[in-house]
Amino acid sequence: MKLKRLAIFAAAIVCLVDLSSCGTTSFAPPPPVTAELALAGAHQHVDLAALRKGRTLFVSRCIECHTLPAVSQHSATEWPRLIDEMAGRANLKSTERDAVLAYILVAHSQSR
Amino acid sequence: MKRLRLACILILTVSPWTSFGGVRHFTFLYEAPTSAQESLELENWVTWQRITNPDRSDEVDFRHELEYGVTDKFQVSVYLADWFYESNREQSGFTYSDSAIELIYNLTNPVDDPIGVSVYGEVKAGDRLIELESKLIAQKNFGPLILAYNATLEAVWEGNELEDREGEFSQAVGVSYEISPRISAGIELLHEFVFPEWRDEEKIRNLFVGPNLSYRHRNWFVTVTALAQATDTDDEPDLQVRTIFGIGL
Repeated sequence: MKLKRLAIFAAAIVCLVDLSSCGTTSFAPPPPVTAELALAGAHQHVDLAALRKGRTLFVSRCIECHTLPAVSQHSATEWPRLIDEMAGRANLKSTERDAVLAYILVAHSQSR
Repeated sequence: MKRLRLACILILTVSPWTSFGGVRHFTFLYEAPTSAQESLELENWVTWQRITNPDRSDEVDFRHELEYGVTDKFQVSVYLADWFYESNREQSGFTYSDSAIELIYNLTNPVDDPIGVSVYGEVKAGDRLIELESKLIAQKNFGPLILAYNATLEAVWEGNELEDREGEFSQAVGVSYEISPRISAGIELLHEFVFPEWRDEEKIRNLFVGPNLSYRHRNWFVTVTALAQATDTDDEPDLQVRTIFGIGL
């Protein structure tokens, strides 16, 4: 009986959380560094190595505190401020911070 | 007292410019990502447990832990002190329990790889106590959703000559959903098998389940989980509430 009550309670929370996210959330990982993304990066003067490094740092350092937002979730003007706010906490050096931002902005330009 | 206050003010003043080990979305489960290289974090754990079967008693456990990222994939933690307050019919008071060292190595990433995996090892020593613990930590992130699983094997030696032995195998599953950039909520489920004297025939089975809530801001976070016992095992908590408060140093 006790177990049944707990199971119903747990299921209710899962449903509530699930409904709240319905249709508004991306569950996909950040876009990989493909040839297409590399080309877009080249147009923005970002080399392939920086894109790869930026993505690796994005999917490893940022998830220590929070889940990853879709790159399209914030505008290209918002991202630099957001990255600056969190770079210290993620222990990102300035070159690493630049790589993360470069990757996000290039991926963002391709997400529209 | 004055020194403690001064230390708190110093930590709170200096920390906004310092790095952070990472936020916990769960309190009874570990997550696969390890602390960023060279980051240092202080975590304080408080766990309140109420037992009513067969007699009513309360216990509050405290832990103070320093967590350091050696590399991006390897984390070392030191439990400076585990201590507890116990209140029952016979006695009440504070007791030092143990100190420990914990190592976590991350193998795969929960976003990019099919499953994020880390391995965990812990050695604990205290007053007439030695404990070894190993853990397999698995995690998968789907956008704002985190699914985590831990399998833990624990061996304990207790008593004046460490003559009392006990083994434990536990599995834990957790789900956490990021409602906003600062708030996550979810569920944790903990299933334990205790083997007194390492004997299979005396095994004790416990199941705990309950919700969790996590809030993070700047360089600190707080996560709370309340677990209720779904089984009817003697001398096991009917309810336990764990809070972890972490701050980047």
